[in-house]
Amino acid sequence: MQMRMASVISTCLHIAVLGWATLSFNSKAFEATPPESLPVDIISEKEFSEVTKGVKDAKKPAEKPKPIVEKVAEPPPKPVEELKPTINDKRTVAENKEAAPPPPQPEAKPPEKKAEPKPPAPAKPDQIADKLKDDKPKPEAKTEPQPMPPKRPPLPKKPEEKFDPTKIAALLDKRGPTRASMTGAELNKDPTLGTATGAAAKLSQSEIDAFRRRVESCWNIPVGARDADNLRVVFRINFRRDGTIERGPDTIEGSNSPFGPAYADSGRRAILQCQPYTMLRPEHYESWKDVEIEFNARQMFN
Amino acid sequence: MNPADVAQSLPSIVSSDLSLWTLFWHASWVVKLVMLGLTASSIWLWAIVIDKTVLYARARRAMDSFEAAFWSGQSLEELYRTLSSKPNHSMGALFVAAMREWKRSFEGAPRSFAGLQMRIDKVMQVSIAREVERLEKRLLVLATIGSAGPFIGLFGTVVGIMTSFQSIAASKNTSLAVVAPGIAEALMATAIGLIAAIPATIFYNKFASEVNKQAQRLEGFADEFSAILSRQIDERGGN
Repeated sequence: MQMRMASVISTCLHIAVLGWATLSFNSKAFEATPPESLPVDIISEKEFSEVTKGVKDAKKPAEKPKPIVEKVAEPPPKPVEELKPTINDKRTVAENKEAAPPPPQPEAKPPEKKAEPKPPAPAKPDQIADKLKDDKPKPEAKTEPQPMPPKRPPLPKKPEEKFDPTKIAALLDKRGPTRASMTGAELNKDPTLGTATGAAAKLSQSEIDAFRRRVESCWNIPVGARDADNLRVVFRINFRRDGTIERGPDTIEGSNSPFGPAYADSGRRAILQCQPYTMLRPEHYESWKDVEIEFNARQMFN
Repeated sequence: MNPADVAQSLPSIVSSDLSLWTLFWHASWVVKLVMLGLTASSIWLWAIVIDKTVLYARARRAMDSFEAAFWSGQSLEELYRTLSSKPNHSMGALFVAAMREWKRSFEGAPRSFAGLQMRIDKVMQVSIAREVERLEKRLLVLATIGSAGPFIGLFGTVVGIMTSFQSIAASKNTSLAVVAPGIAEALMATAIGLIAAIPATIFYNKFASEVNKQAQRLEGFADEFSAILSRQIDERGGN
């Protein structure tokens, strides 16, 4: 009897506690502040060497160096448009149009040209004209075609652009800036200081091997040279960019042996005969412009 | 489909909210069984606790009032007459049992007093045992819940984590949003087990000491009463 009462009381108590727990037991999400994101770009080796190539008289970066951009991006960047892989720069379109015989354009100011096709606006025309005039200089500066590669020396910015009738096609091209040109929040054409040489690339092992193989193929070791294995000679060679020899080969080091001069001459002949060394890639010209080569029969022929 | 229905059905699909009900509802059936069993045992436990608390308080009060009446100086015959008419517990039952044995021994006039003392002691021992048994009833349930509850909850947790890991492996996604609900629902089994077991252990210890105290009090009264009766027997036997 008493136990039944107690059971009822206990059940009621549990229901009350469970109800309260169900109502109050709501998980609150942790306030996790996301860490500041670092924009990471994957660039190719070529781009890297271009980026690091500095100009000595570049301005010292201020407190916050601005990224190198050629165009001012649209103020609210739309991510969907940014992701669109547009390969075509408008520059190409502009050039195509310029290549064609330019149609005789009347010397019409762009603001007027824009105002003409519009239907008669109900608002006051003065305001619209003012606005158009305000708007106009910006696209003009923006869409100015830049035919030079991005690593050209900084040009002094012209304060006023003259109206060029041959560039009307570029002016009329109202497509947004595409990915082919670097865009940023602010206009900054100054290159950074960069590293001293800007030549990050090195001669690869395959290039060295190809060069050695080529020299070997041209080299006739003087017959009868005694202990040719121990002879060695070091040449210094200056190359041109196309792989031909500009200066040298100059003997820097030779073996103290009666056969030394003949041995060195044979090496020099071999180097001169085999040029140009096309396997040396011009991208890495900095690293093979001035080299020292050691001729050693034991090292070369084994 | 009206928007309210969509809003209602959304949490069950996403299961991003971790309210108790959704945690319970998404658990596997083994975990559900464990949770339900533990909840039922918790209800049973608290029913016992309420029952025992009332019982012990009443027994203590009854003992107090009986002792007050016993030592008040009124005649034992009179006390026996008032108590024997109604059912008694604890000390009153002890007293009535002993007095009944005493009276039976004296009703058939010439009886031997030789075994009377022993008989009275036996009767009182039996009634003490009965009283203690009544006080101790269902206390073992508390002990069992207190010792087994955490294990049962842990079993539910282990099973729940196993199944949730299996479903994580099946979904091939290890983000915390996938891992967390399964583990939370599994841990709830242990939580319920602990919620049931902690009060069970505490109240078991408390009630065990209470039973011990009351049993000692009954034994003390029995010894005292036995001493009084023994004196009476000696006096009457001497006559």
